[in-house]
Amino acid sequence: MRKVLLGIIAALLTTTAVADITFMVPQKPGQGTSAWAEIVAKEFQKAPAMKGEKIIISYNPGARDMAGFNKFHKTERFKDDVVMVSHGGNGISYVQENVKYDYNEYSSVCHQNLNIIVAKHKGVDENDGISHVAGSGMVPEGIAIALMIGGPGWTTEEYIIIFKEHVTWINGLSGSERHLAFTRGEVLATRANPAQYKSKVQPLIDEGKVETWMHHGVLNIETGKSEDDINYPGYRFEDVYEAKWGQAPSGDLYDAYTMIHTWRDSIQKALWVNKGNPNTDRLRLACKQMSMNPESVAILEKKIGKYSWVTGTDGDKTVEILKGMITEPALKALVKFNTEALGLASVYKEDLITK
Amino acid sequence: MITYILALLAGTAYGLMVGIVPAAGATTGLVALFPAMVLLQSVDPYLVVVFVMAIVASSTTGDTFASVLLGIPGANSSAATMVDGFPLAQQGKAGYALSAAITTSTLNGLIFGALTFFLLPYYKDFITLAPIDGGVGQAELFAFCIMAFVTVGFISNKFWLRSSVALAVGIFISLIGVDPVSAAPRFTFGWEFLEGDGSGGGVPMIPLMAGLFAMPEMITTLQTKLLTAKPASNGQVIDGIKVSLKEWKLSLRGGFIGAVVGFLPGIGGSISDWLAYGQTVASNPNEKFGNGNIKGVIGPEGSNNAQKATSMIPTVLFGIPGAPFAVIIIGLFGAVGFDLSLDSTGVLADREFFTAMTFGFLAATLLTGIVCLLLIKQIAKIVSVPYMYYFPIVVALIVWATYTSGFDTYGIENVILLVFFTLLGLIMKKYHFSRPALMIGFILGSKIEGLSLQTMQLFNIGGYPLLKLKELFGYHVGSRQLDLALQPGRDLLSHPTFVGIAVLTIIIFLWGWRNKGKIDYA
Repeated sequence: MRKVLLGIIAALLTTTAVADITFMVPQKPGQGTSAWAEIVAKEFQKAPAMKGEKIIISYNPGARDMAGFNKFHKTERFKDDVVMVSHGGNGISYVQENVKYDYNEYSSVCHQNLNIIVAKHKGVDENDGISHVAGSGMVPEGIAIALMIGGPGWTTEEYIIIFKEHVTWINGLSGSERHLAFTRGEVLATRANPAQYKSKVQPLIDEGKVETWMHHGVLNIETGKSEDDINYPGYRFEDVYEAKWGQAPSGDLYDAYTMIHTWRDSIQKALWVNKGNPNTDRLRLACKQMSMNPESVAILEKKIGKYSWVTGTDGDKTVEILKGMITEPALKALVKFNTEALGLASVYKEDLITK
Repeated sequence: MITYILALLAGTAYGLMVGIVPAAGATTGLVALFPAMVLLQSVDPYLVVVFVMAIVASSTTGDTFASVLLGIPGANSSAATMVDGFPLAQQGKAGYALSAAITTSTLNGLIFGALTFFLLPYYKDFITLAPIDGGVGQAELFAFCIMAFVTVGFISNKFWLRSSVALAVGIFISLIGVDPVSAAPRFTFGWEFLEGDGSGGGVPMIPLMAGLFAMPEMITTLQTKLLTAKPASNGQVIDGIKVSLKEWKLSLRGGFIGAVVGFLPGIGGSISDWLAYGQTVASNPNEKFGNGNIKGVIGPEGSNNAQKATSMIPTVLFGIPGAPFAVIIIGLFGAVGFDLSLDSTGVLADREFFTAMTFGFLAATLLTGIVCLLLIKQIAKIVSVPYMYYFPIVVALIVWATYTSGFDTYGIENVILLVFFTLLGLIMKKYHFSRPALMIGFILGSKIEGLSLQTMQLFNIGGYPLLKLKELFGYHVGSRQLDLALQPGRDLLSHPTFVGIAVLTIIIFLWGWRNKGKIDYA
């Protein structure tokens, strides 16, 4: 009883205290990146480099998760105690939409190099037609499906025709609705991040209803290429494609695919501070310590799976790799596919090529 | 056990408080407490479960006070109650209206709460059932939303054309945000705030509801210098309990509607109260509503606690929010270690979690009912306090709740929107444009847009693929896409639930058209 009362008092006192570090999340509580940030914040503040400092979460939803990041860029990044938490959708928006934030202006604290996995109902042959959940964050899946159905040797224009002929792209489903529609068999294919895949898709695989179709791979920052995911070995897009068509994928649209999925997946959950922030090294060290703390690692792996942390200057190296992937043909193919096949309001940002 | 009871008492007290605060409600209350509750888990995470469930249960009953006494909805779950509850308070029958509402709300909370926890183990089979076998899929949800839409016939006032205009304005407001296909901003006039959070329409519910209903009532009452009513008497409280029990069929019907709406993921809670209100009006064709009919209080109050209870089913079993407040609950439970997902067997196997949830909801419902009934006289005294004393306090609370609901991004913007909708609400009230009709249009507009897109892409009717309709608008439709829409099981005429809802919708429409314009409320 006494313990409870003391706990309640401590909790209330702690929440009214001024936080030492603020994690700025571009979503409201309960959404994917918010949930990730809450788990990470708890483990992060255990790191010795944090010296007992507290982390609070600031929720900044709006404009498809761009408003919070825009706000960080405009004002909050100049505060030394503010860390931006971004997700893969922010990476996609940066490449294909007009946003105010700019990764060139930030230093990476650390990020988790993640993946997106695609599942389909058992027995479905995509060449007979397939339905997949839609959304601006699903661009890599759209391109991968078009490439997978068409096989080698087509131009971007022809892949667009193949996509429009075969793929029913289901718009307007929220995250939870997607999973239910997929579970009931109304939609034949869906995608999920590792945490969602573990909790929502794996049970259907265990029931024998659906199967893993492909995943996009995990970026190796030494080679700059995506490699197989140890959690889902043998299902990397390139491997599944080659098994089906007898040769590796290639062409402008494939380059667009590589570029956009890496921009999303390799910085799927990332922490940023403004360049020159005096706390950068300390925060990087804290993240490294967290990623090496077996207790924290066990908690994070239980929720997300076995995925590595990229810490220190390796985070900035990832951004350099991502920037190097943006070429004129790839960007043009991406925008063309987005607008003509998916109906997205995508813009061609020429300045990204020269940055 | 003593710690559970403490958590229950604290949650009930807090829930009642946020319920009574105009425009706040369970969602705002839970968000405000988020950091403290996450830290409480270090003491005992099950305390968080009891505390949260108590807030959910008690806030839904508490919000009735502001609706009835002040004519302003405590939260969106009590907006429909206000239509007849506030006129009753103005007639000096505040105690009568409140006790009827609280008794109905408490009884249905207990009945449907118990049913919810009893049904939990069976729900997964139902919600994952294929539509061809009687399950509910996207097309059925579309049909259900259309059915809710046609109830606008019942909640329109005698100015039928103006009600239709209000409905159209509501639909337009619901379309402000982001285009579901292109993801481009739509009708936002370059204001990023109006793009929303990506989960639907861009205009947030709280400033709209507070501006449309709460603020106009506050301002017009101040203008008329109205001392609202006589205080409640014991006789009124007892009469209210009696009428609630006498109208048990009406109450249970409301409860059933609320339960179904809560049960179905993707529908959203606000619809249930208006649907329940609509059925109350429809089932009493010879009576007038909107001027203090006690049945207009019992119907929607029957719905809201039942809806809150059953919305916990998809929330707990699948991590799929059955109502807006449930999104916060998923986040909160996740943060304290209870992972709600499509396969919640881990959580459900945890008997202590299950017990904490059941205890929190049912005990708080009962406790709130008893406390509220005992305190009606005291709380209802507010109606005899000169308006000028509590006007600034209530307005400040409304502004606070609106500001807080914008999180750290859009507090000021929400308040700007509150001012805009207050002006709109004042104009609508003065010129008799139906505000409930606008709310129905707003709540359902964007949902119907998304669900119609999905229904059109995935299904056919009698062998005619709905996708062909796209061609009429000049879109390319692929042959494999058509093959998909014609696969076995995709004919909507073979979906029993879809057909049933469609038939019911036609009946309701014809009935509503015949009985339109029966509410003296704008």
